[in-house]
Amino acid sequence: MNAPVTRRGTHPAARIVVRAGPVAWQVLSVAGLLVAWEALARLNAGSYVLAGPVAVTRYGVEHAGLLAHAAGITLANAAWGFLWGNLAAVALAAAILLVPRLERCVVALSLVVFCLPLVATGPILRVALGPGNGPQIALAALAVHYTTLLALLVGLRAVPRSWLDLVESYGRGAGAQLLHIRAMAALPYLAAGLRIAVPAAILGAMVGEFTGAERGLGVLTIRAMRALDVDATWAIALIAAGIAIVAYRAFGALLGFVTDPPALLLAAPAPAIRRGRMRRAGELAVTILATLALWQGGMDALGLSPFFARRPGDVLAFLVTDAGAASHRAALAGAYGETLFYAVPGYLAGLALGAGLACAVVLAPGLATIVLPLAVALRSVPIVTTAPLLVLALGRGATGTITIVAVMIFFPTLVAALQGLRQAPGQVIDIFASYATGRWRTLALARVPAMLPAFFAAARMGVPAAILAATTAEWLATGRGIGGLMALTASTSGYNMLWSATALVALTATLAYALVARIERAVLRVYGPEQLAR
Amino acid sequence: MTRDRTIGAAPGLTRRSLIGTGAATLGLAGLARPGFAQTRDVALQLSWLHSVQFGGSYIARDRGYWAKEGLDVTLLPGGPNAPVEPPVVAGNALVGISAADYTAAAVAQGAPFRIIGVAMQKNPFAIASLPGNPVEVPKDLEGKRIGMALANMPVLEALCTLNGVALTAIEVVPTQYDAAPLLAGQVDCLLCWATDLPVAMAMEDIEAVTMLMADHGYALHSQTYIATEESLVSRRAELVALMRGEIAGWTDYAADPAAAARLTVRMFPDSGLDLATQVMQAERQVPLMFSPLTDAQGFGWFTPETVAANIETLALLGRDVGPELWDRSILEELHGA
Repeated sequence: MNAPVTRRGTHPAARIVVRAGPVAWQVLSVAGLLVAWEALARLNAGSYVLAGPVAVTRYGVEHAGLLAHAAGITLANAAWGFLWGNLAAVALAAAILLVPRLERCVVALSLVVFCLPLVATGPILRVALGPGNGPQIALAALAVHYTTLLALLVGLRAVPRSWLDLVESYGRGAGAQLLHIRAMAALPYLAAGLRIAVPAAILGAMVGEFTGAERGLGVLTIRAMRALDVDATWAIALIAAGIAIVAYRAFGALLGFVTDPPALLLAAPAPAIRRGRMRRAGELAVTILATLALWQGGMDALGLSPFFARRPGDVLAFLVTDAGAASHRAALAGAYGETLFYAVPGYLAGLALGAGLACAVVLAPGLATIVLPLAVALRSVPIVTTAPLLVLALGRGATGTITIVAVMIFFPTLVAALQGLRQAPGQVIDIFASYATGRWRTLALARVPAMLPAFFAAARMGVPAAILAATTAEWLATGRGIGGLMALTASTSGYNMLWSATALVALTATLAYALVARIERAVLRVYGPEQLAR
Repeated sequence: MTRDRTIGAAPGLTRRSLIGTGAATLGLAGLARPGFAQTRDVALQLSWLHSVQFGGSYIARDRGYWAKEGLDVTLLPGGPNAPVEPPVVAGNALVGISAADYTAAAVAQGAPFRIIGVAMQKNPFAIASLPGNPVEVPKDLEGKRIGMALANMPVLEALCTLNGVALTAIEVVPTQYDAAPLLAGQVDCLLCWATDLPVAMAMEDIEAVTMLMADHGYALHSQTYIATEESLVSRRAELVALMRGEIAGWTDYAADPAAAARLTVRMFPDSGLDLATQVMQAERQVPLMFSPLTDAQGFGWFTPETVAANIETLALLGRDVGPELWDRSILEELHGA
């Protein structure tokens, strides 16, 4: 289908200049980064946390076979997880579109599953799936399904009402709308979603190896860090990042031909759907009941021992009716407060940084050649490797953890915001151009409003990501907060506390998500009404 | 369940693969085990990634000590997010490698475990420091910054109580489990195992001062073999066979730790193990595992006296257990006490 898009005419000569620019920039920036990196590594030689490009290359050459084999295994697991997770997301999105009533419940359940702490799920996946690659693939799939689902839901709605009316006027139903209009409109968003999912899948597969795997990049990372082998640690981290960057680019190229943005000029304002309080309360109750049923039923169906797979009733007893319930709640609340103290500022900083960088890239396209690879690399270098480095650089206090959270948030935000900024309809941009409107005004008045749906999708995705990042940093580096509490309780079989913390984390993610969604609705009522249409 | 062991793969459906798919969980254990003539599949859950730390088990497998018993033992590696207790409770593993404190904690949470053997007579926990600012006795800890996982606070508390050290005089810095914070000067000492981080430092030509906590009253069995009460009744023969292989393997290990290190590196080429590191680790591990007691009674042995000392240390760690946590019947059958 050809979207009615016009592009700004560019003089061929100008195009050549624009094309030559990035290459020179790229070479220069890569060289600059390498030099800075080597210098930084040499300055910190005694600290055993950072290896320079020379040492890393030497290690990589000497251990090429080992690294290639491990990378192959991790990549295969990540690819399977990527496939299954995204297929699940597509199926869920299609189901929601055909039965819109399902949306809240499905998205909430998907969110809950996505933000389940690895400390709780790892051992269960290992017991349920046995030795081998099962948990690695499952964790990679869990790491991608949710972000893809959100991206798809936005994309499937990014269609002008008039097109849907056209299909209806031909007497065709929702199926035809899905096939001919919504699916096509969703492709660019799906492409952006898949690109975000690439590093997440690799990270998921690596963390999956922490649950007791024989081989893979995650296994080598643990070993290298304990052995003070910084060269190995960074060689592995860079391989993981390199794979993620290549896959990211490949998806960009592969899906490039579908990313002509659809025009949203004629989007009619959404009919003011005022859902009653009763209906909302009903949806909430259904979601909570479904979560509890899935929790209890899933554990029962798998026949998991109540020793380590605690049920909702156990958690309720532990937190409410037990003799020591008050002290249990106090311990949980104390750790929870610490985590929020890190997660909230990190989350906000990550969103601001992502959206800000996206705007900067649109204003100065040359920046993209530096910012994007660096952003993908930052997001792809496994957090297990970067956490100690950031902690060394920024200290063990609040700054280190907040930075880790912000780094995890800003990449998906950047990708989504950039995608959104480029969705500004060509006609609108043309009109601005014909009035010789400045770049800043065009950005503020045309591009930013077009960005908002994608930005808010990223903000919603960021909720569980922020919690995951904060708890992972606490688990691996600082030992504080709810992540530290969960690690401690898991190692000492304190499964009541572990599952209480898990339930609290899931509840927090759901509430924070609902809060962001509420802000989003208020904003999009003005700027993106088609997103609110049901 | 692993995909290559599904029952659906009809041509490969041997009794081994049937048991391997977890026949016990399907309630078929009785059907699948009419006699002992054929090989039985069992799993041993290790407490960490493959390394020479479990070298005796590798020898038992490599030299056929288990095959001789009609046992095919799968060695399941552990990891940072792979607690030992769940797979043993779930029956995925017949035996797990735990430690007395973790086992006591699990039992307090309702897991029906017994300790059936003790690989590390001396606890490997140690305080590692640099020669310029050493910790040689517990008193030296006062005024120092110690890097450790907060999860190990009870360990430090117990050491302080045992030696009259003021805990408040020590600054605890939560760190990841690696030696970098010590070398970067972020901390003065580390709480770690004597057999891993100090070895890693030695490999970088940094000879650390290592104070073994077991030499200062911290009596706690480590690398203990745990099994469920149910297994002790219903799968006794397999437990005996498994432990017989372990004893033979570890006896060989003590005689030639370097050979164990070479075998480890050969068996796990994908693990990125360094031979020199493994040799040093193997050598440093031997004195923790073998003592006059094991020389007299055999590998894995424990006595009412060592158990009593453990119970005292466990009380300091906040774990209230009795001697019934230990069950020596399997070892008695093997060592003929």
